[in-house]
Amino acid sequence: MRESRLAMFLLVLPALAVVLALFVYPLAMSAVSSVTDKAGATTLDNFAKAWELYREDVIFTLLIVAVSTAFIGALSAGIGGYLVLGESRRAIAALRWLYRWPLFIPFIVAAQCMRTFLAKNGLMNNAFDTLGLIDVQNAVGFLDWRGIIVTFVWKQTPFVALIVAGAMASLDRSTIEAARNLGASRIRILLEIVLPQVSSAMIVGLTLSFVTMLSVLSVPIMISGGAPTMITVDMAFRINSYSDYGVANALGLISYAMTAIAAWAYLRSNAAKRGMA
Amino acid sequence: MRRSLLLSAAIALSAVLAASPGHAQRKVTLNVVTAGDQNMVDYVKDYLAPIFEKDHPDVTVKSVGTGPGDAGSQKIYEKLVAEKGNAEWDIDVAVIHQKAAGQMVSEGLLAAYVNDVATGKLVHSPAASNSLGANVAGYVIPMFNSQTAIAYNSQLVKDPPGTYADLVKWVDANPKKFGYNGIKGGMSGVSFVVGWIYAYTPDAEKLMKGPYDPNLKGTWDAAWSSLKAFNEKVVLTPGNAGTLDMLGRGEIEMGPVWVDMFYTWQADGKLPPSVKLKLIGPGMPGQPMYYTVPAKAANKKLAEQFIELATSPKVQADGIVKRFNWYPGIDATEVKSQLDDATWNKLFVDVTPQDLQTKGKTFPITPYFNDILEGYEKKVQ
Amino acid sequence: MRSALATILRGSGLGAVAFVVFGPITNLALWAFAVQWYFPYKLPVVWGFKYWYEVFKPRSDAWESLSTSVLIALFTVAACLVLAVPAGYAIARGRLPWRGGILLAFLLPQAIPSIAVYFNVARIFYGVGLNGTIAGVVLVHTVHGLVFAVWIAAAAFAAVDRELELAARNVGASALRSFLTVTLPLAAPGIMASVIFVFLESLDEFTGTYFVGVPDVTTLPLLMFTASVAGNYQIAAITALILLVPSVGFMLFIERFLKADVLAKVGG
Repeated sequence: MRESRLAMFLLVLPALAVVLALFVYPLAMSAVSSVTDKAGATTLDNFAKAWELYREDVIFTLLIVAVSTAFIGALSAGIGGYLVLGESRRAIAALRWLYRWPLFIPFIVAAQCMRTFLAKNGLMNNAFDTLGLIDVQNAVGFLDWRGIIVTFVWKQTPFVALIVAGAMASLDRSTIEAARNLGASRIRILLEIVLPQVSSAMIVGLTLSFVTMLSVLSVPIMISGGAPTMITVDMAFRINSYSDYGVANALGLISYAMTAIAAWAYLRSNAAKRGMA
Repeated sequence: MRRSLLLSAAIALSAVLAASPGHAQRKVTLNVVTAGDQNMVDYVKDYLAPIFEKDHPDVTVKSVGTGPGDAGSQKIYEKLVAEKGNAEWDIDVAVIHQKAAGQMVSEGLLAAYVNDVATGKLVHSPAASNSLGANVAGYVIPMFNSQTAIAYNSQLVKDPPGTYADLVKWVDANPKKFGYNGIKGGMSGVSFVVGWIYAYTPDAEKLMKGPYDPNLKGTWDAAWSSLKAFNEKVVLTPGNAGTLDMLGRGEIEMGPVWVDMFYTWQADGKLPPSVKLKLIGPGMPGQPMYYTVPAKAANKKLAEQFIELATSPKVQADGIVKRFNWYPGIDATEVKSQLDDATWNKLFVDVTPQDLQTKGKTFPITPYFNDILEGYEKKVQ
Repeated sequence: MRSALATILRGSGLGAVAFVVFGPITNLALWAFAVQWYFPYKLPVVWGFKYWYEVFKPRSDAWESLSTSVLIALFTVAACLVLAVPAGYAIARGRLPWRGGILLAFLLPQAIPSIAVYFNVARIFYGVGLNGTIAGVVLVHTVHGLVFAVWIAAAAFAAVDRELELAARNVGASALRSFLTVTLPLAAPGIMASVIFVFLESLDEFTGTYFVGVPDVTTLPLLMFTASVAGNYQIAAITALILLVPSVGFMLFIERFLKADVLAKVGG
């Protein structure tokens, strides 16, 4: 008994139609400008210019987002793992209450918080100074690439952790208990039993957060002033300073190509699983 | 269970619907959209709107902001282009920057309203007719004029530099104590860079007045390489607000800022009282904000009356000068007579009228402006 | 002895988490009540409610913007659920043609920074009279929400054991009935998580709202955006704190509903 392909397609159609009509079509309207010149002829000049001026920023963006994603993955695995494997009920309850708060802080406000928190004379260094841990005069600020990564990880870890913890909570506990009775350490149980079973939830969460970080403008623009910077800043700059939608859209397409790579990871893992089943 | 969720959602929705006012307005709404800081949006909302509504009881003024800097003006421009095909547009008064003004006039998005407004005769500054090389006469009246200058903490810097050359020496002696925001984070950094080009290339006048010569940018290499060396010894701050932010926390001692933004930050308690301004030579650019009326504004007549009020000498004196310490948009002589000397002189505590006259520059005309930005991107970053 | 050590470790671990999570938020809370705060002071010099008055002064439309924001977010959630549940199911279960391409299409709105897109959407909406309406803004937010809703719903459905569904079908339940009684309840936790993200995404959005809503529809994030970018820390902090109320409230509401659901299953 197998649902027909047509029926399945009809189920997807409404959602797909909304995205096609309200995003892909308008995007195509402007994306055309990235491959046409002023006279209307097809050209790759915009991509050449984007690459010439912003090559470093493209690589920088990819590195920032990849490193952030790695941290987010590790931390959310840790949070989710403690929530299912932790031994103290009180500590679990406390962690469950604690970890979600950054979820509710919009990116733009998160950026503002971090700007005044991570700065050389910011709240963090001042707090350490008051505790006598450091001397604020000789302290360093983190308002550069490190600040961007910290902000991303701070803001996105709860997002992934929420998805991953949900998947972990619905796992069959009998294998976990069995492993525990055999004396396996919690770290081992997490790595060898729990994580493999929630890998697809983890990858969905990481992909979504990878994509989200790629498109955020407020964090790089409010945290780090130096070069290189992230693609979103360059896009805004092309549009606001030169009204140059061509190069901006070319950068947008480059950014989407990165996304497609991330999504490909998900699809591949998914296909592998289907192959097993 | 699913039904109960839907039900409670429906109840919540209807509760919110019932709670939200403003359904049955029969009044006319005048939409004023402002590219600029929150304080400009609030100025329209809290100061201008009540005065205007008192004279026009059937009108409600709605004030919306689109964010500071050219990005804010760009959003207004884009919205007008999007509704170009409609018979009536939903923005009645738009407050925009110079760059957008030239573009919007040339694309026919603005109405030539100035001759229909009595206060149009009170403006004689070149900025009222020339916007980065574009002729905007008849389409704009300045709301206020702003200027960039160097802010410095007078407790830490006893003898602030008076010129770009002095500044370079100061930075050599005090590395990482000067900060500016490059060119991607807002106009105060752009302004500093433009001032650098004015200082270290011979053709500053030509950059401001034209005509455009595409070969000129080839002569700026020395200026760019000295700026690149300079950048090694300064802090690059995140945005216009980022420079003020670092000054406020004492992480830098000096940096370029917009004068109007500076006063707002100080009034909001985010800058030490010891931070002061200095306009350095040979000069730094400034620019006005413009009141404009979109070509197909739904309430054109009311929009003109609103601008007439906003550019009247009394409102310019009480609102612009007294409340905010901003330089007036209309002729200074018209405004000065409305104020006592003490209030007027407060405008010029740090930056004297003479400074403004000799060191207050305009931005370059658009093609040079683009050359400068792109030159910086290629040769300094 | 060992347990005492464990307690200390646990306590300091939680303390570190609390510092990391709440440190930056504390900053927000401080700014909301700071009237003067500058170098060399480590804490605000003058405290007060000055800026709360600014936000809620009689002429301000903060309350109206807030209720509009919440209304739009709720409608967006409803629209996303209606669209994403069938789509997620089909992606997870069916032999869907161009499955990879379809999943990628749903990622687009989140992947490409989209000022240029909103501009064209506004152009379309002006043509059909949707600009300046709540419905228009809800549609724009829905497009963004669908990224989370569809992807997470698909993962949630994929995690439901197919055998259970088939068992229900074998004892004579219709496809719809087995979906509603077996599959959907099992996938509910994941779907509800996605609903939270959709709600938050809508509640924080300002660019699309500007192009499609302003000046007729204004929301609180618009105010937060202008204030935040220009560095009006106090106003931005207060707006963000206000927005916390519906955000956290919505999540508690969803969790309460979820718990009831789970309990019902255990009991029945």
